[in-house]
Amino acid sequence: MLVLSVAVASAVLSLGMSLPGVTERLYLHTRAATAGPDVVALAPDDSPVATSALTSLVDAPGVAATSRPYKQFWATLTPRGRPEVRVVVLGVDRKPGPIDRPLMVSGEWVSPGGVVVEKGFATAVDLRVGDQVAIAGRSYPIVGIGVTAARMAYPGAMMGGPGNGPSDRAGLVWMNEPDTRALAASDLPRTSIIYLRMHDPAATSKYMISYHETRNSAGGFVGDSFVNSFTWQFIANEDGRHLRDSQPIMIIGGWLLSFLAVAGMSTLAAGRAAGQVRRVGLLKVIGATPGLIAVVLLTEYLILAVLADALGLVVAHVLAPSIINPSGSLLADGAGLSGMVILMTTIVAVGVAILTVLGPAVRAVRSDAVTTLSAGSRRPEYLVMLSRVAALLPTPLLLGLRLIARRPGRAVLHLCGTAATAIGLTVLLMVESQPEQGWDFGGVVLADLANDQSRHLLMGVSAALIALSVVNTLTMTWTTAMESRATMAIARTLGATPGQITWGLSVAQLLPTLPGALAGIPAGLFLNWFFGPPDPPEMHTEWLFLVPLVLMLGTALLTALPARALARRSVAETLNAETA
Amino acid sequence: MNVLQVRGLAKRHGQKQSLVRAVDGVDLDVPAGQTLAVMGPSGCGKSTLLHLLGGLERPSDGEVWLAGERIDTASERALARLRRRSVGFVFQAFHLVEELSAAENVELPVLLAGSSPRQARRRARLLLEQVGLADRARHLPWKLSGGERQRVAVARALANEPLVVLADEPTGNLDTAATNEVLRLFAHLRAEGQTLVMVTHDGRVAATADRLISMRDGMFVEDTWLAS
Repeated sequence: MLVLSVAVASAVLSLGMSLPGVTERLYLHTRAATAGPDVVALAPDDSPVATSALTSLVDAPGVAATSRPYKQFWATLTPRGRPEVRVVVLGVDRKPGPIDRPLMVSGEWVSPGGVVVEKGFATAVDLRVGDQVAIAGRSYPIVGIGVTAARMAYPGAMMGGPGNGPSDRAGLVWMNEPDTRALAASDLPRTSIIYLRMHDPAATSKYMISYHETRNSAGGFVGDSFVNSFTWQFIANEDGRHLRDSQPIMIIGGWLLSFLAVAGMSTLAAGRAAGQVRRVGLLKVIGATPGLIAVVLLTEYLILAVLADALGLVVAHVLAPSIINPSGSLLADGAGLSGMVILMTTIVAVGVAILTVLGPAVRAVRSDAVTTLSAGSRRPEYLVMLSRVAALLPTPLLLGLRLIARRPGRAVLHLCGTAATAIGLTVLLMVESQPEQGWDFGGVVLADLANDQSRHLLMGVSAALIALSVVNTLTMTWTTAMESRATMAIARTLGATPGQITWGLSVAQLLPTLPGALAGIPAGLFLNWFFGPPDPPEMHTEWLFLVPLVLMLGTALLTALPARALARRSVAETLNAETA
Repeated sequence: MNVLQVRGLAKRHGQKQSLVRAVDGVDLDVPAGQTLAVMGPSGCGKSTLLHLLGGLERPSDGEVWLAGERIDTASERALARLRRRSVGFVFQAFHLVEELSAAENVELPVLLAGSSPRQARRRARLLLEQVGLADRARHLPWKLSGGERQRVAVARALANEPLVVLADEPTGNLDTAATNEVLRLFAHLRAEGQTLVMVTHDGRVAATADRLISMRDGMFVEDTWLAS
């Protein structure tokens, strides 16, 4: 339980902490592997004026070299047996030039009659090497799947529409230039594109100031043609858009899961406290110092927490490529967790372990040896009002309320844990109640990657919250059952039925569940409002009534199992064990 | 009329070589108002017998009848109801609920039996006065002496005016003064006609009974009437 809780929390937290800046890192990695351009410049057509404008950029401030100008066509691609989708077809040489050398992840570079498809697009449309596709009515085999840093990640390949109009979402296809003559002969819209290499790749600003970014600049005009330019920094930043919604989900989810881990571990530690206290007594009798005793108590939890953290980091490492590179358009083999992330999650895991065991350890170390060796060392000195109120209630409520009165801290932990789960469920319900809006590809609507990514991550985090919540509820009920077995056995000698004992234990968990579930709903709504889309479609808030209902029913079912197991134990055996 | 009636009662643990006959085919009749003491060495099955009589354990064989109702085949729910109304337990280790005050410990069986909180409080006050602990009603068990705790346990056992009180080594954890307090209490119960079955090592406790049964290896070896 302890290992599971910490591992899940570590995995989510480390993924969340890895998200800031990860796309930029992946983009830089892809850029290095594909000789990506420092600036991509587009002209609105393939006229000599436009081509001349692009080639003249070799003399622009800071530019060290350029590629040759390429033509690209706005076409449609029809996979066999499926609807057509919008693509940008770039006419390229059989041997890539020195700037932008797309990396083949499968197959080979363009050949006469064969095309290469960009990886993110190929994944979204489920295209593979060897598939036959129709482009502008002509059939071509796919000979390769490639990755480039010269375009925004799928579906942003268009980077400006025909005539420098607004761009639509499209996939990228590379085609051998001679094959594009068939496209050129048709009436397809087209533009020209050129790649620039700067003297200092970090200083693309000089170029942008000259042509785009100041009042005295050319306003995008180079000679008589308008040129639109994109720096590699801009492309990297745009690629990060897919992950921007994911980051709060992972970070907040990670903290909520960490809290659940703390709650679960604290309960476990409290459940083991009686045994630990006796161990401390024995250690004191044989002469162990307080320092040594503290080390003995802490070591066990620290080792488990570090092991669980390592497990969580391994899980995060395995999941990372699919989470941090949702479009698949970038090379993700450099997507490992950073040393800082590993250090931070390990500190959190160790902190959780120390927080968990510190209280029992300090109490055990401070008590004298005889007290720690005696069976009944834990004797509450106070009676809360709850205990008196309980006398007015039916037997199960009476027993449950008195259990809560004895362990108010655990009730609060359970309440907060339930609130954390309710937050996750509320956000999930709010997001799921909104219609999925895909990307229009001019004939077919494909999944909106950013939205899909958020939904999948939210689903994953919610599932983890629910799983930990289930484990915590079972642990709390079992621990409470174990701690109160003597009290419950006495109650049975006084005439409480097994059913009343079962319900009493369940009630002890259900009473904090309801306020926790009710508190989680507004918190979840706030998070959804704060991090959600600015103008969300109308939400089905009536679904929110399901949250407390599901949590109450779930808790009742989960607590019934361990509570029933305790209630069926032999009273005589329990009492004998207590006095042994 | 017999409050308790037992026929061929047996309780076995384990199998073959490890078989233990905790109670080995005993017959017993306890008439209303009788104080019965069961004595014997440790491990002879005294406590097991008491648990079987109170329905806290199920016998391997035999029958147990309480106030004319057979309890060895009763459901757990039926047994619980029976314990509420008809049986009071006193244990060597007191077994008070540690987080409840002396008064609340006595109130608990009254509440479980369905009485109102007001009735439960009134009953607890009365019983604690009877056992001489009215001034300790609000104390938690750990603040009471051993003798006081056992007197609270006796008060709790009497809370629902049971047909029989079953006491397991009621003075086993007490010093001489506290033992005398409890003995005085039991003498009072006997005088009031309360049926009482107690198992004990202590000859002084046994001497207060009407009848003494000696037990060895799970069987009754002697049954003596002490009182005139």
